[in-house]
Amino acid sequence: MALLEVKNIHKSFGGVKAIQDFSIEADAGEIHGIIGPNGAGKTTIFNTISGVYTADSGEVYLNGTQITKLEQYKITRLGMGRTFQNIRLFQGLTVQENVMCAFDPQSRYTVLGGLLPTPKRLAEEKRGKELCEKYLEIVGMKDYLKERPENLSYGMQRRIEIARALMCEPKTLLLDEPAAGLNPTEVGELTELIRRVSKQIGFAILLIEHRLELVMSISDLIHVQNFGKTIAVGTPDEVRQNQEVIEAYLGKED
Amino acid sequence: MSALVSNILTQVFITLIAVAGVYVLTGLTGMFSLGQAAFMAIGAYASGLLVVRLHMNFALAVVLSVLMAVAVGYLIGYPVVRLRRDYISLVTLGFGEAIGALLNRMTFLTGGASGLTGVPRRVGLPLACISAVAAIGLVAFFKTSKYGRQCIALRGDELAAKAMGINVIRVKMTAFLLSVALTAYSGALYVFYMSYVDPTGFGWKKSADWVIMVFFGGVNSLTGSTLGAFILSALPQMLRGLQNYRYVVYAVLVLLILNFKPSGLLGEWELTPGNVKRSIGRLTEGRRRKEEK
Ligand SMILES: Nc1ncnc2c1ncn2[C@@H]1O[C@H](COP(=O)(O)OP(=O)(O)OP(=O)(O)O)[C@@H](O)[C@H]1O
Ligand SMILES: [Mg+2]
Repeated sequence: MALLEVKNIHKSFGGVKAIQDFSIEADAGEIHGIIGPNGAGKTTIFNTISGVYTADSGEVYLNGTQITKLEQYKITRLGMGRTFQNIRLFQGLTVQENVMCAFDPQSRYTVLGGLLPTPKRLAEEKRGKELCEKYLEIVGMKDYLKERPENLSYGMQRRIEIARALMCEPKTLLLDEPAAGLNPTEVGELTELIRRVSKQIGFAILLIEHRLELVMSISDLIHVQNFGKTIAVGTPDEVRQNQEVIEAYLGKED
Repeated sequence: MSALVSNILTQVFITLIAVAGVYVLTGLTGMFSLGQAAFMAIGAYASGLLVVRLHMNFALAVVLSVLMAVAVGYLIGYPVVRLRRDYISLVTLGFGEAIGALLNRMTFLTGGASGLTGVPRRVGLPLACISAVAAIGLVAFFKTSKYGRQCIALRGDELAAKAMGINVIRVKMTAFLLSVALTAYSGALYVFYMSYVDPTGFGWKKSADWVIMVFFGGVNSLTGSTLGAFILSALPQMLRGLQNYRYVVYAVLVLLILNFKPSGLLGEWELTPGNVKRSIGRLTEGRRRKEEK
């Protein structure tokens, strides 16, 4: 079984059929691009896989475990990491604390350690901070530990969000338009970063992206969504030549 | 120290403990409880009754009363931590007023409106002071722990918090019960200081007062909340001579701060060794620059 298996999920909001029969199989080291025009249902796919919504029908398996109806935080703990289309870092916390938040649910000290600096707490905090620095280093943000994310550039915030998602130690990483709002240099750096973590850490990556140069250059497989339906699946080259895709999406964009 | 000053300080310290609890709930977690003072009443009545009726040891009675309040807190917390934020104040309000009514009605147990009397005096300024310092210390450790971080995270964005694996309901419950324990403890100190307690004064107005103190000093700062509680609880006592005008002074002060500094007196600033060093550094830097000119 693949690391992530999504089987025929459907999701509607009232009359809006946001997802109609979406399936995907992704394995470690693979990058799957999901493209499609605005309102095609891409973010809804992520929200349904990661447990924000429950699928109306269909099944989702993560590393062999059925997660279709599990609570969101439990899915995360089983190995689902994600970022958000509109950055959702935590206000009132530093960069380091933001990333630590994704470690805290796994941190093994009790309420006693919450109230007093017990040896267990000190050891766990140290372990968390080391991991935190490791992931911030990977995304190139290690020098900003004590800063507040809201004082940093958009591109930096996106990187911090990726570090925070990595801190969840995911088996599947969902990136929702990570290049939105970045300048061309930053897009280049981001492409490089995604490629690097995919190889280094070895998880399945699902990538929603409007910037075609990014998604085409790093995806193994591309899923094209339109009005909730998958209209094409294939390698970047195949998708580029697909007539329906060109009409539905590429034609309009380029 | 005059008896008057000592009396005011003791009561202020007892209030500081309850406000430390409100800081955990409102400041860290973003939940507003209008029934918080009822937990103070529970702490006061439970510990008082255990000693007066069952002749229990003072320390044991205090511990038991805190545990009882936490048990009640768990029951009321069960719906509260699952509700949308705007309903939380409503539920806790109803709960708090109900407790007040119960204490009034159960005359055989509580003495009803005439109150519970004959509680031995076991608390003085030293114990109140030590307790307040300890309570604030615990909350300071809590804030910088994984619990504090998760509280702040979910306060701003529950969806993102869940997406990071945070068990939002559980973390909220932990914060709620900690605040209940602190508030109940302050109630126990209160009754063993006053040697008397009656059901008035534990309604939503007191709970709202505490929230105001937290916002006045800085809802994002434990130092600020403590300072706010100190100023606003000592002030009306010190202005006794002005009679009812003291509440006008109080209101004007609160309005001025919230108007000109919405984040409260101290904003997010905390009294930590690092921050103090930085502030002193900035001061001496400024002076040096002036001298150079
Ligand atoms: N919580 C919701 N309630 C009601 N309708 C929703 C909800 N979430 C999404 N939708 C609808 O579902 C459809 C798909 O939305 P979705 O956000 O998944 O699109 P998208 O492909 O991510 O678009 P974009 O490229 O603009 O991000 C839209 O019509 C949207 O209005
Ligand atoms: Mg979207």
